[in-house]
Amino acid sequence: MKFSDSLKTAIGALKTNKTRSFLAMLGIVIGIAAVIVMLSLGQGVQNVVLSQIETMGHNIAFILPGGTKQEKGLPQFSLGMTQIKTLKTSDAKALKKEAFYIKETTPLVFGPAILDYKGKQRKCDFVGTLSNFQEVRGNKILEGRFFALEEEKSMQKVAVIGKTVKEKLFGSEKVVGETLKINRRTFRIIGAIEVEGMKDPMFDPNDRVFIPLSVAQKQMLGIDYLNVILIQAKSANTLDIAVQEAESILRQRHRIKNQTEDDFTILSQEYVASTFNLIGGILTVFLSCVAAISLVVGGIGIMNIMLVSVTERTREIGLRKAVGARKKDILLQFLLETISLTTLGGITGILLGVLGSYLGGIVIGKVLDLEWQFTLSLISIVLAFGVATLIGLIFGIYPAKKAAELSPIEALRYE
Amino acid sequence: MIEVRNLEKVYKNDAVETPALNGVSFKIKQGEFVAIMGPSGSGKSTLMHIMGFLDRPTSGVYRFEGKSIDELTDDELARIRNKRMGFVFQSFNLLPRTTVFDNVRLPLIYSGFKKEEEEERVKKAIEEVGLSHRINFYPNQLSGGEQQRVAIARALVNNPSVIFADDPSRNLDSKSGKVIMALLQELNDRGHTVVLVTHERYTSEHAKRIIRLADGKIVSDEDVRQRRFAKDEKELIK
Repeated sequence: MKFSDSLKTAIGALKTNKTRSFLAMLGIVIGIAAVIVMLSLGQGVQNVVLSQIETMGHNIAFILPGGTKQEKGLPQFSLGMTQIKTLKTSDAKALKKEAFYIKETTPLVFGPAILDYKGKQRKCDFVGTLSNFQEVRGNKILEGRFFALEEEKSMQKVAVIGKTVKEKLFGSEKVVGETLKINRRTFRIIGAIEVEGMKDPMFDPNDRVFIPLSVAQKQMLGIDYLNVILIQAKSANTLDIAVQEAESILRQRHRIKNQTEDDFTILSQEYVASTFNLIGGILTVFLSCVAAISLVVGGIGIMNIMLVSVTERTREIGLRKAVGARKKDILLQFLLETISLTTLGGITGILLGVLGSYLGGIVIGKVLDLEWQFTLSLISIVLAFGVATLIGLIFGIYPAKKAAELSPIEALRYE
Repeated sequence: MIEVRNLEKVYKNDAVETPALNGVSFKIKQGEFVAIMGPSGSGKSTLMHIMGFLDRPTSGVYRFEGKSIDELTDDELARIRNKRMGFVFQSFNLLPRTTVFDNVRLPLIYSGFKKEEEEERVKKAIEEVGLSHRINFYPNQLSGGEQQRVAIARALVNNPSVIFADDPSRNLDSKSGKVIMALLQELNDRGHTVVLVTHERYTSEHAKRIIRLADGKIVSDEDVRQRRFAKDEKELIK
């Protein structure tokens, strides 16, 4: 039997039972569409987060107090507001002095702030840091300037405000020279900056005021430890070596023999990205498994329908055999019928999945206020198509074999 | 061309053995028109199934055109059914929702002819049964007699040496039945061997020779002395 004839017969058989064919296909359609949407949205989320992680800077790493305990996994700290006191200003100084590949270190402390500008209040955070924060992060100066080394040393109460604070408290007015109360202490505003960083509804790096480290530690918080040390490597290529240097210097300073006992964690863009990729990968595998199960269920549904179809068409099978169809002709006919069904389901599922990914992206973008990039991997489409065909093959074999094994007279006699 | 010797067939079903054929022997030569007659349960259908390579005997010899059924694989049987045999069934067995053309073409899709050749053969076969004006009709748009004629065209399309007809007029009114019998006689006149299975004496008398079966054995095997000619009767009715 010619292949074109087999295909024509198969499609003809599906057409004669349109509703049933469609319903049988539905499981595959939904399964494939789900896979496509999951992979596309997963990739989209990953892209958004990775692009925000990129804004950390290629040559910058963060040292946080508290160890990770495990080799890989999430560090056991809560960013910023930690009570762990192991990281000192002297560490930052030593790192800058001793490490060859570290160009600059910037210590940071964080604290909750209630701002008061002429009775207008705002709750946010303050950041205590050194003047080199500006050089290391390369923030955009909106107005005025960042504070200088002398102002930090002489513990002057000067503040630089983030873009969001400026917009909320001052609107479009000039801010330099104004006075601002931070936790009831009066500061003089000397500038406004825009910090590049993760744009996230939960965490806005621009909803902050920046004040000299000495003021923050001694007058605002009464502490002598740090929350974060920013290290800047000499170049993006040497960041890894710089991180290693920092690790060994800190271990030496903190008398740590074994890396599992580390009382600090160094996060580089690469590390955060790889951690996120790990989570993303696990999630993708997990979702794919769920989708795969739905595909198997869909396949079983199709097998069931095909078995019914074989029983219904017993006489047809008998007749075909009587006029000269061999076993493999019948096998091919029913196998092709199942594969046509699942492949058609696969194509419909892909179209639906692409549409769903597109709409889903728009919704996520709107709800979370993100710049969503519609991504669709060709691999996932090819894969989905292949899987649909494979399901047809796997779940089609049994009904097709059953049809092919029918004896012609039994089949002809069947009422 | 057909040689049957000591043919036996026993159906086994849940350890119960039912003998259907009990030592049947005869020969059919090229160009014969043989009716196999007997009441239901006499084994005539079983005999036809074995002769048509649709079933295998339990024991005994069956040769078709010199080839023994025991020496052929299922695929080889299928090929011979396709090329050398034509089947006409009681219940027509046309594919529903398939045109007359495609129904008649069915055996050819397993033969491997070129498209032009296929088309030519199909059209010729349909013309021979006088249904050229119904070529694009569907079975449910045809009368019973017309459906059976489509089935005959299907049996003819590969130009088989033998046509097996299993009570082809049983489900038809007498007039349509006569048309069918006339067609079979015409085909026999043109050289096709015809084996007709029937339970009616009247129908069997259209053949040249009648083999009577009862309980899986041959009761008689004789030539028809006063053969009926369906064509004449048809004209008489008109």
